[in-house]
Amino acid sequence: MAGAPIDLLVLGVSHRTAPVAVRERLAIVPDGFDAALAELAGLPGVREAALLSTCNRVEIYAAVSDPDAAARAMGEALARRAGVPALELAAHVYEWREGEAVQHLFRVASSLDSLVIGEPQILGQVKEAHDAAGRQGTAGATLNACFQRAFRVARRVRRETEIARNPVSVSSVAVELAREVFGSFQGRHVLVVGAGKMSELAARTLRTHGATLTVTNRTRSRADELAVQFGASARDWAELPAALGEADIVIASTAAQGPVLTHAMMKQVHRARRGRPLFMLDIAVPRNIEAEVASLDGLYLFDIDDLQKVATKHREGRKSEAADAEAMVRQELERFLRDWRGRQLAPTVTALRAHVLGLAQAEAQRVAASIPSLGERERRALADLADGIAKKLLHLPQMALRQDGGGEAMSMVTAVQRLFALEVAAPAPLEAEPEPAASATVKDKKAAGQ
Amino acid sequence: MTWVEIAVYALAATTYVGYLLGHSIRLGPAPEVAAGAPEPLRSPAVARGMLAVAVGMHFADIGYRCVRGVNPISSTPEAISLVAFLIAAGYLVASFRYRLAAAGAFAVPAALAALVLARVVPAEADAPHMGSLGRVHILLAVVGVAVFALAAVLALLYLFEDRQLKRKRFDRVVGRGTPLDTLDRLALHCVSIGFPIFTVAIVTGAIWVARLGLLRQAVVMRPEYALAVVSWAAFGVLLVARLGAGWRGRRAAWLTLGGFGGAMLVLAAYFLRHAA
Repeated sequence: MAGAPIDLLVLGVSHRTAPVAVRERLAIVPDGFDAALAELAGLPGVREAALLSTCNRVEIYAAVSDPDAAARAMGEALARRAGVPALELAAHVYEWREGEAVQHLFRVASSLDSLVIGEPQILGQVKEAHDAAGRQGTAGATLNACFQRAFRVARRVRRETEIARNPVSVSSVAVELAREVFGSFQGRHVLVVGAGKMSELAARTLRTHGATLTVTNRTRSRADELAVQFGASARDWAELPAALGEADIVIASTAAQGPVLTHAMMKQVHRARRGRPLFMLDIAVPRNIEAEVASLDGLYLFDIDDLQKVATKHREGRKSEAADAEAMVRQELERFLRDWRGRQLAPTVTALRAHVLGLAQAEAQRVAASIPSLGERERRALADLADGIAKKLLHLPQMALRQDGGGEAMSMVTAVQRLFALEVAAPAPLEAEPEPAASATVKDKKAAGQ
Repeated sequence: MTWVEIAVYALAATTYVGYLLGHSIRLGPAPEVAAGAPEPLRSPAVARGMLAVAVGMHFADIGYRCVRGVNPISSTPEAISLVAFLIAAGYLVASFRYRLAAAGAFAVPAALAALVLARVVPAEADAPHMGSLGRVHILLAVVGVAVFALAAVLALLYLFEDRQLKRKRFDRVVGRGTPLDTLDRLALHCVSIGFPIFTVAIVTGAIWVARLGLLRQAVVMRPEYALAVVSWAAFGVLLVARLGAGWRGRRAAWLTLGGFGGAMLVLAAYFLRHAA
């Protein structure tokens, strides 16, 4: 049995330690993923391995029998992949061991180490890394226990903090603002005027929520092209006022050097709409919609600065929520390590009890056999005496083993195993445990203003 | 019992208003000690829990009074208490179906104000003999006013959120408010339900007064009757404009508030006359 609390090692680079020029050289392409994983699992000192490769991080998670040898071999493997000397790459590589490695995994899965704190994709990516290791057979008891717990911690963090509540990208802020007007996008008409990357993102998101898209552009062929790209229908530029009359949401993003949608034009459109609300996003620079348009009743106009302001504020809000999340991670780490140690101790304690109690009973039987005059009552009393002495003797050693003594307790386990020549069964897995927080999952119920 | 009810309503109202203004409550263990504990409760859930308790107590109170022979329309205070109950209960039920936490900042204080009023207004010393027609009239008027009050609450929230969005003050709206379209639709539902009830109340009221032989005196001497008809007409115009001409948004919200304001004036005139 190992002498450390948990023999996990993490080695990697992330957006915090390495520029994209380094990260892109380390990134694993899907085709080469299995081979890279197999190579890592075969490194000296490595028992189990999982590989996490995203655009912001490349990390190896390994259960190791010899941490120093494994760390060296893993560092060299990364350097080979990047095509640079290990020493050069070392400046960008971080390494975490034992409890700190588990904490790092919990933080990564909970999106506390992400470029955008609280972003939801990372949990899926960590799950994929674990699944891939499972498929390849490179994940064993240690990695399974760590990853399973990391998923639960991440779910708890999302459920009990508001770390992921408010959107932080400009396109999702736009969608959230529109939701404050319409609630649901089912059956809503979105008119995209012109084309830009941001309008494309917002329009696509709205379409996935059930909105229908129409695209218009000064050049009809370009409108047709965009319509195919967005899964939308196209309209002639000349039909712009009519299209505005039918739309619920307008996203303007043309390359025009002045306003395309003027106050006079929108006033006419507004009259025909009879107070039906219109949500207008002007994400062009220079702006495409005259600012005076915002004075019309039932018409909500936001430009790129408005969206940026909201996004920045939400980002700051997430940072303050992150303090709560970090506290949860620390607490869950302690709990996990305690469970882990308990899991490692249990077979040894069971074996020790069986060994000592067995010896005591055997001795009691031997003595009883040597005195034929003993009746049944005396024999039982002798057996009880042996049992009682054995249990009293076992009490203090058991307490000492179960104490939360970290590495010390683990070395005592090793000593007990050697002293009594115990044959210890494999520890039971941790996965069957209940959720860290047993409350029901609560999701943002924002659909349709309900 | 009543003052405890009022206290619980006041707590719920404060929590809802605090939520709308951006002061959140989190009830539950701190993150450091929360493992295995239930998820902490946040403002809307806390406020709704308090409101449910208050509505439950209020219902029990009304039921107890009924058992003791004091029915909810037997006097002005009882009728106002019933209006308060209907506003609070109506909002509570709707809040399970729709995202309406922000509307609680208007609905619950309105119910609270009505309940306080009910407890400070003295009962009429010379309550007229109502008969079954009078009872139907008063019950329908009370229910109609409560439904219009809910419509007015939604209209108020609509105007508040519209203003916040127009002024680009997103903090109090994004993620907290109810979508404007939902508010608009719900207000229309309320007016559509309240209008026929109020119509029947007006008609039964007129017949009741006529049977008592007081119709001429009522029309000449009591402006609240004319006001009641004006309020009814305002809601009628609103319904026609909305369903026929497609009126929506701010104009509809203001007309809803106007109609409700008229209904409130009717009640105020009635109280003043009895107080005098």
